Amino acid sequence: MNIDIKHIAKLSRLRIEDEKQEKFESDMQKIVEMVENLPDIEDAPLLDAGNPMTLRKDKAETGKYTRDELTANAPHVTAGCLVVPKTVE
Amino acid sequence: MELYNTNGYELSEMLRTKKISSAELTEAVFSRIDSVEQSVGAYVTLDKENSVRKAKEVDDKRSRGEELSPLAGIPVGIKDNISTKGLLTTCSSKMLSDYVPPFNATVMDKLIKQDVVVTGKLNMDEFAMGSSTETSYFKKTKNPYDISRIPGGSSGGSAAAVSAGEAVMTLGSDTGGSIRQPAAYCGVVGLKPTYGAVSRFGLVAFASSLDQIGPIGRCVKDTAMLFDAICGYDEKDATSANIKHPSYLNSMNGEVKGLKIGIPKEYFSKGIDNSVKTAVLNAVKLLENNGALVKEVSLPSTDYALNAYYIISSAEASSNLARYDGVKYGYRAKDYDGLIDMYEKTRSEGFGDEVKRRIMLGTFVLSSGFYDAYYKKARLLQRRISAEFSDVFSNVDVLCAPTVPTTAFKIGENIDNPIKMYATDVCTVTINIAGLPAMSIPCGYDDKGLPIGLQLIANKFDEQTLFNTAECYENLIGGFKHPEL
Repeated sequence: MNIDIKHIAKLSRLRIEDEKQEKFESDMQKIVEMVENLPDIEDAPLLDAGNPMTLRKDKAETGKYTRDELTANAPHVTAGCLVVPKTVE
Repeated sequence: MELYNTNGYELSEMLRTKKISSAELTEAVFSRIDSVEQSVGAYVTLDKENSVRKAKEVDDKRSRGEELSPLAGIPVGIKDNISTKGLLTTCSSKMLSDYVPPFNATVMDKLIKQDVVVTGKLNMDEFAMGSSTETSYFKKTKNPYDISRIPGGSSGGSAAAVSAGEAVMTLGSDTGGSIRQPAAYCGVVGLKPTYGAVSRFGLVAFASSLDQIGPIGRCVKDTAMLFDAICGYDEKDATSANIKHPSYLNSMNGEVKGLKIGIPKEYFSKGIDNSVKTAVLNAVKLLENNGALVKEVSLPSTDYALNAYYIISSAEASSNLARYDGVKYGYRAKDYDGLIDMYEKTRSEGFGDEVKRRIMLGTFVLSSGFYDAYYKKARLLQRRISAEFSDVFSNVDVLCAPTVPTTAFKIGENIDNPIKMYATDVCTVTINIAGLPAMSIPCGYDDKGLPIGLQLIANKFDEQTLFNTAECYENLIGGFKHPEL
């Protein structure tokens, strides 16, 4: 199978430098060839009845963190808000 | 024996009876770090100041006669993908190189409550994606048995630190072998707990359905002691199992009389070094001579497990790592033209090549037209693998297999060949796919003196059988060795 590395990178919001393109493409080709060797198994629902997951109700908790604590790691903050490039023309 | 390489359970007793203080022990570990860290490179971040402060605090509590946990005052290192409030948590990635979490992982809250001295954060493959710790953005960690070789990965820093005496015990995480494989390569004990036994809250997500945090120690008792401290239900993790855990350390009997051991024949086929095969089978023979019953069993789908693992783990990674967009936290590219350009530049500059490879593989197997042929097939295989293990565990108590097909390879040997690198996980990934507990313990050395790992695998939530079997073996061989550094 031919892997279109540019297309997959675009879907992944990544860019691969030109000089690395060939290596990424040939590695991906080999990895896909490796992983596609899987047996045909009769179709069945994928949810596992034995899964230990128990879901709790969503609840709003306030006062646990300050605004400053939550934005301290953001790359660009102004007046307590996260700043991003213009998204609406 | 120096303080820095004394077993944790013995140190715990020495602290309790005031033969030593935590301040002395912490000083001994940091002076060991001073002398060997330059050649081993286990840590991304050291936290000596807080360690010294905490040690003194524990000593004060003890002198006031307060009742303390067995781990109180013991220096423990933490893999750098476990969130530590106020302490850098980088996942060994440029993307998170400045990230300081505003909260603790549940395991950290538990350890802090038990007065552990947190030495610092340990190096790993970037976002836990790798088998050699070579994909770390910061540095390459070396194997304490031979510093020209890799320590394994992704918890390479965690295993190397314990092996080299740079921490008494450490926490790692295991998605496809990331605790057991470096434990095997560095000659230490590592446990990958049952999926759901330890809370994942605060563990930076790689593949959420496979990730588990687990302990690494220099002996079986230390691993049980640290596991006792971190296991248990947590309402902050929806996949956490609400079951009662015993004290695995106190319940450990080190007995194998009548224990039914299965030898899965598929784990001894092609690609396993003779030295590894011989050491593992000799260990089984020793257990058999001491009362265990051994028989060959079959897990027919084992050959496909690696393929299913790379599909499932990469699919989950591609979705989990979508959060790194340069907005809420982490790295952001300097120059960009609009939002999409910012996302693409941020992610391309912030992630290393292996992480990009996994994200793209995951995106590919989930993409339109390929989902049924890859992801769905892998998930169906996952169910078949679990069923095969269930069948086997109706006849045996524990499985014995190699942890890794070879001993530690040279730095740089496999880094440009992803297929070869992925193949080192062939004996460990199946256990994550089935959600089982498994442990690696040292069981001998090859002709270069490099450690070999014996992997013990048990049924879900039967960690006790792993500890008992491992403890029996450790006692029979008179304890595990330390590397000369």
